[in-house]
Parts: sequence; structure tokens; C-alpha cells
Amino acid sequence: MSTTVAAIEVSSLRKRFARTLALDGLNLSVDQGQVTGFLGPNGSGKSTTIRILLGLLRADGGNARLLGGDPWHDAVALHRRIAYVPGDVSLWPNLTGGQAIDIIARLHGGADKVKREELLERFQLDPTKKARSYSKGNRQKVALVSALATNAELLILDEPTSGLDPLMEEVFTECIQEIKAQGRSVLLSSHIFTEVEKLCDTITIIRDGRTVEAGRLNELRHLQRSVVAVSLDRDASVLVGTPGVNDLVVDGKHATFTVSEAELGAVLAALSAYSPHSLVSKPPSLEAIFLRHYSDPLQRPVSTRTAGI
Amino acid sequence: MSASPAAGDTASIPATNGVLTGFGLCVRLLLRRNWLRLLIWAVLLPLMIPVVYSSQQAAFPTQTARDSYSQVANTPAVAAMTGLPYSSGSLGGILVIKIWMTLAISLAFASIFLLTRNGRADEEAGRTELLRAQALGRYAYSLANYAVVGSLSVVTGLLIALFSLGEKLPTAGSFVMGGSVAGVGLVFVGIGALCGQLSSTSRGANSLGVGFLAVFYVIRAVADVRADGSRSSGLSWLSPIGWAQNMRAFGDNNWWPFLALLAFTVISCAVALRVETHRDLGMGLLAERPGPARASAFLTTHVGLVLRLQRTPLAAWIVGAVVAGLFFGGVATAMAGLLDPSTPWAKAFVGDSQNMLNSVLGIFGLFNALLAAAFAVQILTTARSQEAGGPLELELAGSVSRLRWFGGHVLVAAAGSAAMLLLGGWLTGASSGGVISGLTTAGASFAYWPAVLLMMGVFTFLYGFAPRHSVSIAWAIYGAFLILALFGRLFSLSEDAIRATPFGAVPRMPAEKFSLTPMLALTVVALVLGALGIWRFSTRDIESE
Ligand SMILES: Nc1ncnc2c1ncn2[C@@H]1O[C@H](COP(=O)(O)OP(=O)(O)O)[C@@H](O)[C@H]1O
Ligand SMILES: [Mg+2]
Repeated sequence: MSTTVAAIEVSSLRKRFARTLALDGLNLSVDQGQVTGFLGPNGSGKSTTIRILLGLLRADGGNARLLGGDPWHDAVALHRRIAYVPGDVSLWPNLTGGQAIDIIARLHGGADKVKREELLERFQLDPTKKARSYSKGNRQKVALVSALATNAELLILDEPTSGLDPLMEEVFTECIQEIKAQGRSVLLSSHIFTEVEKLCDTITIIRDGRTVEAGRLNELRHLQRSVVAVSLDRDASVLVGTPGVNDLVVDGKHATFTVSEAELGAVLAALSAYSPHSLVSKPPSLEAIFLRHYSDPLQRPVSTRTAGI
Repeated sequence: MSASPAAGDTASIPATNGVLTGFGLCVRLLLRRNWLRLLIWAVLLPLMIPVVYSSQQAAFPTQTARDSYSQVANTPAVAAMTGLPYSSGSLGGILVIKIWMTLAISLAFASIFLLTRNGRADEEAGRTELLRAQALGRYAYSLANYAVVGSLSVVTGLLIALFSLGEKLPTAGSFVMGGSVAGVGLVFVGIGALCGQLSSTSRGANSLGVGFLAVFYVIRAVADVRADGSRSSGLSWLSPIGWAQNMRAFGDNNWWPFLALLAFTVISCAVALRVETHRDLGMGLLAERPGPARASAFLTTHVGLVLRLQRTPLAAWIVGAVVAGLFFGGVATAMAGLLDPSTPWAKAFVGDSQNMLNSVLGIFGLFNALLAAAFAVQILTTARSQEAGGPLELELAGSVSRLRWFGGHVLVAAAGSAAMLLLGGWLTGASSGGVISGLTTAGASFAYWPAVLLMMGVFTFLYGFAPRHSVSIAWAIYGAFLILALFGRLFSLSEDAIRATPFGAVPRMPAEKFSLTPMLALTVVALVLGALGIWRFSTRDIESE
């Protein structure tokens, strides 16, 4: 196997359930050694994509490759090299958490004993309790411990922190950073952008089964406009029509607007004619990128649309 | 819906009432949730009195018959199972021998299960939290639970007394009969209340309660076997069931042990209440037993896991097959003697045979087969429950193929049903008192294995093509095949039609001759259905709920 093969490569993936079109031409790629955030609102098709990658569902169209292999036909061999944490973990109620960890890890090439004990400690999980008595968070910890204790090349994690408290989320973040340092690949699905921002090299944002944004985190930031707030010596409505000024909101002498990196110089030059008293420019947050894709365009505040050009 | 009367009721109760505020409301809530169960127990148990009484009246119509029965009634087996026969020369005394222990134990079970259902099970599910958040007194809900379940014992006891009176049995004895049964029910209200405090899970509480019941039953069994004539052994005072027996309905008619039963109940309920108000919600006095922290090497193999998950049903069904086999062998001769071969009913049911014993043995082979097939279908249906809401996704995301995963279930179902057929069949002959050899009946039962395989094939096919409905359809088909095989002739269905169903196709040996064709046919159809089902399962989406 060569290192040039992507860990995950998905293109134009389509999947229809009886009434819903869950995936409608989805693209996703995870390069070897990278942590990729897989973001999208609930019901956008993250779990469906992951289930296709695991050979649990069959795609209706498009192409999916997992570690260079076919996720459907080569499932058994591929699964030895990966680890998986489902979004909603259900275990065998009569077995203990410790037994479940060993069984799951064994199905993914086996657990490292030392690492297993260390992870149980860090996640504060009692492995002698019957799974029946575990909460959602504890069931998730069982799946996490067994996934993190293996030496899988690729970890596929479907909203792995949805049942964890903030302290455990922190432990999880550390664990993924260690995995990253070891050069292993991770697909991290989530609908919480701060989690992804902390951990990921690249992100893919999907919506309604389609990829709407993908790339390296810093590249995405480049594409996004900075937010500028200024106070001028006259009514700020003079800015209307200035090339490069978008989403303008005027409030007397004060104005806020957005501007792309490429046009920032020209806009600053134009502003200097109105001798601004103050000027604050903020870089775009991932949240802004995220929310821009999440919120329905029709529901955006009217002011920014009418005031802008 | 239920919130509006609740709010009104709480408002009408003075808040100063303290620990019992809202008791009436809780009683109504509990009655609404349990009325059907309460009704079924309270009707079914007392109804056994007239049913059993009339059968005993028919069996021992004269005092001479009863006297001769009383000469032989006191065997260690009778004493151990149903208690010391102290008055076997009277119809009332015979009624006690035949039904008292069944009534008392049934009521004890009802008390334990109902109490846990409303108590510990609710607390485990978090419903108690909701109730405690209401303006309820500390003792209100649990005391209402004890009162409602306790009143089941009281009502059942009263009805038992009334039904006995209705049979013109002596008044004093009738009331002691009802009172002693009710006393056992009440004692197990107390024991159930305590178990609900000891265990933190409803399963634990129920097992603990049943455990106490078993211990007290065994203690009194030993006491009754050791009794000196009709004088009971002192050991019987170590078991509350023994206290109730010592009330001796239709014998000495003692009421004072009833006071002890009442005292036991009141004290254990009070202790349970005190424990409950001094512990944290959701906790039990006994910590849940920790399990193994590591999986054994066996458990991490695929078949090992399936066997471990199916351990309890597997053991239960094998025990069932053993009990059934022993029973069939034990009653075969008697039943063959009872059935009149000239009646059309007997002909339709056991077949048109020269030899009634062989016919009866043939139908027992069919019974063994129906049990084994039910087992096999039940094992396979867990494949669906694991897909619907279980950990199948985790397993298939690992390095196990769908064929291997489902194959594990098929293996357990096929091997387990074969074992049940052989064991149940062999025991039928072996316990028949020498009228037929165990090997012959084992062969007769095992001849049904292809029919069991066919039922497995049917489920596998449904599982592949219609997973969401596979379980209900498979059981419906099983039920239809069972009815056709058992009663097809009674419905005057044609012989060919019955022969076309799996359990009708297999010859009923030893009454009928062995024939290879139906078995081959069944096996082939089973394999085709199974192969189609597995093929479809391997190519379809995993459908969780
Ligand atoms: N087995 C299924 N049957 C029918 N519809 C499904 C099934 N699984 C998912 N869907 C639908 O597909 C869409 C995508 O779901 P999912 O992939 O679970 O989203 P996400 O994981 O991003 O929240 C949703 O509209 C969901 O209702
Ligand atoms: Mg999901």
C-alpha cells in the first residue's frame, strides 16, 4: 500500500431512502495522516456517508474508496485497519463494558493492553459494570476506548462527543492530538464547529447531502471576508457604492461592513478620504463560515442584504 | 391528560399532612396502571377453587374413597411438593393438598413482581424522580404501592373464602383457607418491598424476591417431609410459608399464625420505607455485582460471543426439552389408556392407528418438534433485534462478514434444536417405564429436524427480504403450521394438505413408517430459502430502527 493513497476518497456519492434523498452528490476526502472535520447540521447525511464507508449501506451512485479499497467488497479486510465510533452506541446489555471493549477492539485488529488501561483511567470508565447500566456517555466511552486502544490506520468517529461532559471532551481532544502526532488519519463528524476548529487540518461542510465547502482550515479563512467597523467624520452612508464594501450597515457616522482580503487595500485607501476616527478589523471565524452555510439564505437578516451592494 | 386531575387532587390535600400527602392520588395512579394485572390475578386464582374442587369431588365421590385415599396420601413426594396432608379424609383437606400451595406461591410471585414493577423498575427508569418532584409526602408513593399490591392479597383471599363457601365447605375452614393464602401474599409484599431497597435494578429485585421464595419453599419442604405423622416439624416455623400452612384450613383452623404473617408484613414494609427515605434516589443497599473487566479469549471469537449472548435462552430451552421429555414418557401409558380410539376426536388428534400407545408417542414426538422449532426461530430472531436496536453495526464495522455473523446464529439454532430433539425424544422413551426404548423415540423426534430447519429457512428468507416484519411474520407462519399439524384433521382438512405443511409432512413415528422423501424435500426447501435469505442479507442495507 502506498502512502499516496487517500485514507478516504468519496465523489458524487448518492443515496436514497424510501422517501428521503439522503446524499445527493457528496464529495469528501481525507488524506493520510490528516484529521478531517466532517461538519453538517443534523440530518445532513454525515452518518449515512459513514455507514456507506463501512459497508453497512450500499450507495446508489458515485464512488467511495476506503484506504484504497472498495468499502463494500473489501469490507472485512479493510475493517481490520480502521476503528469506528458510532453516533449512538448500543452494546450487549448482559456484558460488561470491559468485555465489550475487548470484543470490539478484537474486531479491529486487537487492543494495546497498556493503552487500554491508560484510556480507562483517563476516561474514568468502570469496565466491570454491565452495559445495561451505562448512560449514553458511558456507552460512547466504551466505543471510544476500544477505538483509541487499537493501532488502526484510520479512525472514523461519528459525533463521538455528543454524550460526553466538557471534562471528557477535553480528554478526547488530547487523545486525537496524540493520534494526529502519530501520523494516523481521522474522520471526525460533528455538528459542533469549535470541536472541529481545535483538531482538524481540513474540513468538509455538507448540507442536505451535498458538499458546500471543503479545504484546509486556513484556506477557508482566506476565502472569507473580514468584518470591519469604522467611525467616520461624516454620515457613513457615503460608503454606499464603494467597490469592495459588502454587507454594509450604516448607523449615523458608524458603519460595519465585510471586505475580502484581496480588496482590503483599495477599501482602506477609499476610507482615508473620510478621515476615520476608529477602525476595527476582525478576521473571519470558522463559526462565520459555518453559520453562513448552515443558515438558510432566506432567513438572513434583511438589513445586511438591503444595505449592502 | 392525567396531569389535570392530578394537579386538582394535590391542591385539595392540605400541605400540612406531611409524609402521606398525595397518598390517595398515588393509589389511584397505581390502580390505573395495574388494574388489568390485578384483575387477572384476583380472578384467576380464586377460580381454581371451584375447578379443582369439582374434579376432586368426581375423583373421590364417597367417604370410603376419601378414606382409602387418606391411607396413601402422605408420601414424601406429596409432602415435599404441596405440604403435609393433615386432613386427607375430607374434601376440604383434599382441596388443600391439591391447590393451596399453587395458590400461595402464585400470589407470592404476583406480589413480588407487581411491587417491583411499580417500585424499583420505576425508579430505575427515572419515573420516580418525576413523582418526587411533585408535592408528595415522603412515604406516599411507596406506601400506596404496598397498599395496592397488598389489597390484591386481601381480595384474592376473600374470594377464595367465598368460592369455598359456595362449594358448601365448612365456614371456618373456608375463611382460614382464604386467610392463609392471603397471608403468604402479604408476607411477600413485605419481602418484595425489602428487595426493592436492597437491589438497584428491577431484575435484581425480582431475582432476590424469587430467591427468598425458593429458600422459604425449600425450608418448609424439608420440614413437611420430616413431620411426625400429622404433627408438623418445628423447622416449619423458620419459613413464613410454613406459618401459613400451620393455619391448617379445614383442619385445626388456627388464626394466630396469621398474626405473625401480618406482623412480618408490617415490620418489613416499615423497614423498607425507612431505608428508602434514608438513601439516595436510584441507589440500592447492595452494590451491583461487578462483572469481569476483560473478555475471555473464547468470548472474543464469533461463535463464543453468540453462545454467550444466547446462554440463558439456550439453557432454558434445553431444560424445557428435558422436562417435556420426562413428562411425555411419564404420562404416555396413562394417556393411551384414557383415549378412546373409537371417538372421532381421538382419531383426528392422534391419528388412525391400531396401537394407541404408538399414536400417543407419535404426537409427543410432534410436541418435541414444535418446542425445538420455537427455540430455533427465537434464536434466529435475535439477529433481527441486534440489527434493529443492538450492536450489529459495531460488529459489522469490524472484521466479521455478514455471512459469518448470521452463520453463528444459524449454527446455534441448528445444533441447539438437534440437541433438544434428541434429548427430549430419548427421555420420552427412557422415562416411559420400559414400554418403548429411548433410542426409538429419539429417532422419532429427530426425524423432525428437517421441519425445524425449514422454519429456520423461512425466517432467514424473511430476514433477508423483509427485515422489519421478519419476526412477526415468522411467528405467524410458525403458529399456522402448528395449528395445521395439530388440528388440521379436526378441521377436516385433506390429508394431502396436512402433508404439505412441514410438521405434517414428517411421519409420526413409531405409529407411522419412516419415509425419506418428505425429509429430503423439507431439507431442500429449507436450504433454498436459507440461501436466498442469506444472499439478500449480504447485499442489502443494514436497517436499524
Ligand atoms: N435508514 C434510514 N431510512 C430512512 N431515512 C434515513 C435512514 N437513515 C437516514 N435517513 C435520513 O437520511 C438523512 C440523513 O441522515 P443522517 O445521515 O443520519 O444525518 P446526520 O448524521 O448528518 O445527522 C436524514 O433525513 C435521515 O432522516
Ligand atoms: Mg448522525
